[in-house]
Amino acid sequence: MQTNIRRLAYLLLSCFILLSFYLGYINVLQGPALAADPHNRRLAAYEAKIVRGVIYDREGVPLAENKRENNTLRRIYPQGADAAQVVGFVSPRYGRTGLESAYDRYLLGMTDEDKVKALLDRLLGRQQAGDNVVVTLDARLQHLAMQLLAGRKGAVAALDPRTGDILALASSPSFDPNNIDQVTGEKNGKPVTVYDQLQSNSAAPLLDRAAQGAYPPGSVFKLVTGSGALAANPAVAQKVIDCRGGLTVNGFYLKDNAVHGVVNFRQALTVSCNTYFATLGLDLGKEKFYQTAVDFGLTKNPWDSGPGSIPEIAYRPGSLTPAAQMSRPQLASSAIGQGHVLVNPLQMALIAAAIANRGVIMRPHLLAEVRAPGGAVMLRDKPQPWLTATTPEAAREMTADMVAVVNSGTGRAAAIPGVTVAGKTGTAENPAGAPHAWFTGFAPAGSPRVAVAVVLENAGYGGEAAAPVAREIMRAALTVPGI
Amino acid sequence: MREWMKSLIGARGNDSAIAAGQPRRCELLLLAVVGLYMLAGATVLYLMHPASGLMAPAGAVLGTVAFITVSLIWQVAGFRGDPFLLPLVAVFSATSLVFLYRINPFYAWRQFVWLLAGLVVLLLITFLLHNYRVLADYKYIYALAGAVALLLPIFFGVEQGGARSWLNLGGFQVQPSEFVKILLVLFLASFLSENRLVLSEGTRSVLGIGLPGPQEWGPLLGMWGISLLLLIFQKDLGTALIYFGTFLAMVYISTARVAYVFFGLALFLAGAAGSFQLFGHVRQRVEVWLNPWRYVETSGYQVVQSLFALAAGGMTGAGLGAGHPGYIPAVHTDFIFAAITEETGLLGGMAVIVLYMFFVYRGFRIALSARNDFAALLAAGLTALMGLQAFIIIGGVTKLLPLTGVTLPFVSYGGSSLVANFIILGLLLVISHEAGEYHAN
Repeated sequence: MQTNIRRLAYLLLSCFILLSFYLGYINVLQGPALAADPHNRRLAAYEAKIVRGVIYDREGVPLAENKRENNTLRRIYPQGADAAQVVGFVSPRYGRTGLESAYDRYLLGMTDEDKVKALLDRLLGRQQAGDNVVVTLDARLQHLAMQLLAGRKGAVAALDPRTGDILALASSPSFDPNNIDQVTGEKNGKPVTVYDQLQSNSAAPLLDRAAQGAYPPGSVFKLVTGSGALAANPAVAQKVIDCRGGLTVNGFYLKDNAVHGVVNFRQALTVSCNTYFATLGLDLGKEKFYQTAVDFGLTKNPWDSGPGSIPEIAYRPGSLTPAAQMSRPQLASSAIGQGHVLVNPLQMALIAAAIANRGVIMRPHLLAEVRAPGGAVMLRDKPQPWLTATTPEAAREMTADMVAVVNSGTGRAAAIPGVTVAGKTGTAENPAGAPHAWFTGFAPAGSPRVAVAVVLENAGYGGEAAAPVAREIMRAALTVPGI
Repeated sequence: MREWMKSLIGARGNDSAIAAGQPRRCELLLLAVVGLYMLAGATVLYLMHPASGLMAPAGAVLGTVAFITVSLIWQVAGFRGDPFLLPLVAVFSATSLVFLYRINPFYAWRQFVWLLAGLVVLLLITFLLHNYRVLADYKYIYALAGAVALLLPIFFGVEQGGARSWLNLGGFQVQPSEFVKILLVLFLASFLSENRLVLSEGTRSVLGIGLPGPQEWGPLLGMWGISLLLLIFQKDLGTALIYFGTFLAMVYISTARVAYVFFGLALFLAGAAGSFQLFGHVRQRVEVWLNPWRYVETSGYQVVQSLFALAAGGMTGAGLGAGHPGYIPAVHTDFIFAAITEETGLLGGMAVIVLYMFFVYRGFRIALSARNDFAALLAAGLTALMGLQAFIIIGGVTKLLPLTGVTLPFVSYGGSSLVANFIILGLLLVISHEAGEYHAN
């Protein structure tokens, strides 16, 4: 009987051990998901007690702060519509979006370091406050971008190619995040809010076009094709082609914008010759062409760093027909940014940044610092390389060619007196109507401090519509402290 | 006086032998540590609401004194029972009182009174039942008393939390099933110790396998069937599960025949499948267990809130008073474990589990050292009962098992449960006292 008692004891004790492992699973592994569950009232109870942290731009201008009204704190957005999609909003009705959501644990003081502080505050009966977040955005630049986009659909993305600091991420049309909950009318007996109207607005003001848009890139994509060809064979820089105004690929005729005659690499980029770059793409081959696009991060999400990581912004990676399914005519049209290539403006700015930074793309980011309410820096972002897109030699050659585009080619409207600008225009055919106007580039070409991409939907020629916008953005960015 | 107490408790050793053993000194030291633990909790409660006065610290001091008094009385009387069980129960009681006070001071005061009653019952048992082996003689009385006690609530009972298992006795309510579980173990222990050999070897052979006759297994099966049926009518699934588990455990201990266990499990599965088909409340429990999120606003609300609480504390907990136990319905009874884990964290929850493991370990040690089959079966049965109950309710609130409403022994709010558990503690202690006497001489 002793043996039986022992066996039973082992069984029962193993049940308890199983139970404690399971408790650990619930607590540790399921913990974050349970804490964020909408049915969990703890977060709301916690938020009611705490003063939410402020979001500042890189120069200390508040993008989201708290204002005391009738003895209650209200979240306000002093920059209004300028950065509405990227900063997001906090609404009792619609939850949190944008950076307000991504930085929740800092703004609510929920990191591990904050726990000690929270305990101290509680013991001393002090008002609990979340941490403040400094982002890399520049409110002035953001405002300028929105002014330049005013009344048009489009987006601007600007970043520092040396660090990956995102300086501006503007999307037009936008909305005022301050009155999102306001009830404006009634429909079928239910109240209709500003947010409801924005959601049904066909111009999609809630969409962050800068990071979630999906546009055919047109000729700006020649930067990728050109870099790939140069990296594979540096002699391509001397390659000469006779452009007769078009190219037949397996019976499919690819029309060029003009008869460019005999052109070399630089001349072809300067006049944006489709025949030349389609031929480069065909010579490179579909595998190498596709690989180059992947190297430039086309299909990747820079914020996708494993499970559990919270992305700062919603990002829609670009797309391209996989090499295995790509026909020769598709390869030729993809090489000039038509066909099945789709990109977002931030991705396009990262392509320019890759060439500006000798082939290396720094991981793009918005977080600069997390500061305790007292001002002590708790976390500071360190620049990290993300991808190696191309060789330094190819990047150097492309830079010289892009300078030629702005000095004497299609991008002359982007020239800034006293600063050497490198750039590329794009005029992307699309089924929706007039072509999308693109410009992407960086400045100063010798030691780049800002890379930019501009898209204006159905606005016509990139050199006429988008290049002036990019010029003003770059000119202003170069005066931002720390750039 | 001392001689009189010694004679009462049945201490046979001389004074020097008692001095040499000294289990009570160890017990006293442990109780002092538990007292500090309870006082620390009470101090936090006082600092949270200084306006409510020094009631909480006063209660902690009084509670500690009560436990220490019990230990001192045993010391004088030369009681040789296990020195770890009372301190363990004191930790459970301290945790219980602190968290009940934190949830609602009213519950804490009522529980405090029940705790004192429980300690008195404990003293009475250790003094009056030292000749516990006479208990083996009344097995059919237990069976009858148990059946009657379970029948009463069906006709005269009041329903609480979906279970019709309480009797209203004027000022307070009693849950007979809490006491019947002790009668069940007493019955099984006496019956099995008497018929052990017959049951394990069998009186006839069917296909080469020895089987006992109906006169041997009949009463067993009858007792088990009656209790299960009654529990189904009372809708008290948790208690039914505990009865059944204890039954299987004791049959296995006495016969070592795994076939009985498998047969029992098969019966159980059949019964479970049957009640799933027949009873809406059983089906609902299982469906909520499989996917509580689908019923998050209705029947799944409680367990989902419990999961939130279990996760909310992180590793070290929100801190006493900083959690939200009020979000969980019935947090003071079935769900007190979730409140403890929220405020003391994963470490606190694990600590509670480890303390139950320690209790179970000591209980089985007592069973192993018992001097006869009845004592060993009784100790093992009571220990299995206690362990199963803790496992089933902690498993329920963590969603490892379907939720069944039983109390967390010594911790949940509830007078019947607390007093019944003190009776179990007393029985374990008298068994270990006898074994201690034997080894000392």
